[in-house]
Amino acid sequence: MMLILLTPRYRALKNQLNRFAPGDRLKTAVLTLLGLAFWAFLFGVSYRVLSYFRTIEGLGDLLALRLLSMVLLTFFSILLFSNVVTSLSTYYLSDELDLLLSAPVRIEHIYRAKFIETIADSSWMTLIYGLPVFLAYGAVFRATLLYYLGLILTIIPFLVIPAGIGIIVTMLLVNAFPARRAKDVLVLLGLLFFVVMYVLFRMLRPEKLVDPDAFPTLVQYLTAMRGPVSPLLPSSWASEALSPLLRRTMDGSLFSLLMLWSTAGAVVVVGEWVCDRIYYAGWSRSQEGKKATLSRSRAANAFSRLAVLPFRGKMRAIVLKDVKLFFRDTSQWSQLFLLLALMVVYIYSFKLLPLERAAMPSFYLQNLISFLNLGMVGFVTTAVAVRFVFPAVSLEGASFWIIRSAPLSIGDFLWAKFWSSLLPLLVLSEILIVLSNVLLKATPFMMGLGIVTVFIMTFGITSLGVGLGAAFPKFKHENVAQIPTGFGGIVYMLVTMLFIGTVVVLEAWPVYRIFTSQMFGGRIPASGWLWIGCSFLLVLAVNLLVLLLPMRAGLKRLREREV
Amino acid sequence: MIKLINLSKSYGKLVAVNNINLEIARGEVFGFLGPNGAGKTTTIKMLAGLLQPSGGSALIGGFNVQTEPLKAKFITGFIPDRPFLYEKLTAAEFMHFVSQLYDLGDARKQTSELLELFGLTEWENELVENFSHGMKQRLVMASALLHGPRVLVVDEPMVGLDPRGARLVKNIFKDLASKGVTVFMSTHTLEIVEQMCTRVAIINKGEIIAQGSVEDLGRMARMPESHLEPIFLRLTGGEEAI
Repeated sequence: MMLILLTPRYRALKNQLNRFAPGDRLKTAVLTLLGLAFWAFLFGVSYRVLSYFRTIEGLGDLLALRLLSMVLLTFFSILLFSNVVTSLSTYYLSDELDLLLSAPVRIEHIYRAKFIETIADSSWMTLIYGLPVFLAYGAVFRATLLYYLGLILTIIPFLVIPAGIGIIVTMLLVNAFPARRAKDVLVLLGLLFFVVMYVLFRMLRPEKLVDPDAFPTLVQYLTAMRGPVSPLLPSSWASEALSPLLRRTMDGSLFSLLMLWSTAGAVVVVGEWVCDRIYYAGWSRSQEGKKATLSRSRAANAFSRLAVLPFRGKMRAIVLKDVKLFFRDTSQWSQLFLLLALMVVYIYSFKLLPLERAAMPSFYLQNLISFLNLGMVGFVTTAVAVRFVFPAVSLEGASFWIIRSAPLSIGDFLWAKFWSSLLPLLVLSEILIVLSNVLLKATPFMMGLGIVTVFIMTFGITSLGVGLGAAFPKFKHENVAQIPTGFGGIVYMLVTMLFIGTVVVLEAWPVYRIFTSQMFGGRIPASGWLWIGCSFLLVLAVNLLVLLLPMRAGLKRLREREV
Repeated sequence: MIKLINLSKSYGKLVAVNNINLEIARGEVFGFLGPNGAGKTTTIKMLAGLLQPSGGSALIGGFNVQTEPLKAKFITGFIPDRPFLYEKLTAAEFMHFVSQLYDLGDARKQTSELLELFGLTEWENELVENFSHGMKQRLVMASALLHGPRVLVVDEPMVGLDPRGARLVKNIFKDLASKGVTVFMSTHTLEIVEQMCTRVAIINKGEIIAQGSVEDLGRMARMPESHLEPIFLRLTGGEEAI
């Protein structure tokens, strides 16, 4: 029965592959190529890093194996969170459950089929992008066939354990929470993930490992390097299973593998036991209506009114609707926690830069980093935009007919999306650039340049997000996270990176001229100023084009689109 | 064939279905009416085993839907108001999948007969995502009849169907009833109820406020000889709102 329950997924995939529209073939080819390129890049980077480690006598292997345990711990934490979120969808929110639960199918069969579905949905990306790292280990350590066999035997339980734990956690959460707020569990999960990641990160103590001075003696340093992150974590068992195989021994490998497999088996059995007892009740409760409580509070209403103040007429109506929907959809606004974490980590990393130890003059380096930071802030803003701005049009979903049938021009609709996305992005990008420049002690010129450049670039990043989001809309989606994962999302990322790269390159030369003249004295001749002016004008022109062209393309595609 | 005993469902303080009792015999076409939000879909979902009752029980063919769900579901066909289908499967593949859920073995003959009956034969190898709402609804109905259910639980059968489709469905339900299948049907299309249902129950604010034949309801509303619409409005208090 379990296999029968999995057939729709398998057949759907087969049908999708067999029934390509002409455009889809190209899209798939581009996506596959990009995926392969990224895969090769990961392999190359891992190979080079590991090869470098191996050249460090005495410490090299230790460092490489320590890195392996860190990689595995990171994968484990990502998998754990990913499985909790995925299982909420597969076990509780999926549309097919109505059909399956009204059919004479045993709960344990549903549990097992959904288990496999959950693993497949939550782990494929980690698996695919983890493989080049593991293969690089094998190549650098010139591992025997036994390592690759051990790798397969390790990966299977390593994927099953977080899936089993994730599913159990989801079932307990859905049962413990008030039924009407089943989906709000996601908020808690977002926070939980943040806390778990932080704790795990602290457990890794990464800063100590690259700084032997932090240890009183070399022996203590080596002991810290050798010790597992935590002997009770499955990622440690995986690391302990693979490390000896890389060194062509079997010391402890079998025991660790046994730990992994027995835990995986136990987790599956316990999960089935839990499922048998609480799944149906939880599923029944999760279907009951969801009430917007927090998002309908006075504070939320006041915020919504404030957010739409700059807008008038129909634009205001659209923005107000978007703001309300955003705060009423837990899966959307809970992402703000992760955004906050991203910002804190980004800014904090500047505080930790060991500039004083660098070989280059500190002042020069600070301003060089400050300049490159322009691009980095652009990339961080893009990463946020791909999650929040690119889906803006697709979020209309099946309700897009309301917009199309209303006496509202598509232009007004799209520009409303643009302005409502631009304002929060501007706040974010300016905070990032100002704070990071303050921490870098950048010169007033670099600070001013950063503020102005990021300000203008954010217009382009927003326009690309809204415009390409409209050109490649994904109206049929189960959740927001699916929207940027398609072809359009990748096009957006690539074009935006190209745009940011162009702006940084165009500004590099004039900034260098001005900065060196300020630093070392010396006048810039008139012809130099002319070139500098031309470069900045070119930057403006590029930004103007990137502001207008994507919006026009989006408008055209959206107008042609039949609802 | 269907028995609801003190069936209740509460969502926190809100009582969606309050202690309802119904008994429906073999071969009956039973209409389940009520205003929006009265508790119809909640009742139907409890009957189909999709919702856990807060109290009481639902029995199908003598099997308790809660304690013997598989036995109850084997003899039930459920047609939801919102036809969920796997968009990337073809109609034939979907029917095959459902036949496996009901342990039917080789159901190719029944599948092609049902697809023919519902006018979907020429679409059987098309992906469901290309279907209109009405076609999806017909496919769901075909799949619900695949295992030859003894009870059919239907939520809003006529939504999205064209007049021909609606006529087809009416004829099929009548035919099934004549063969002893019990049809439990929630609908807002009162004309259908008048034409097809042997008995009717009206639910309002979670409670059954009237049940019997259309004539019985007319007498209760002191509107004999009247059509069901004014009777329904009077019994549910909707008259004043108009």
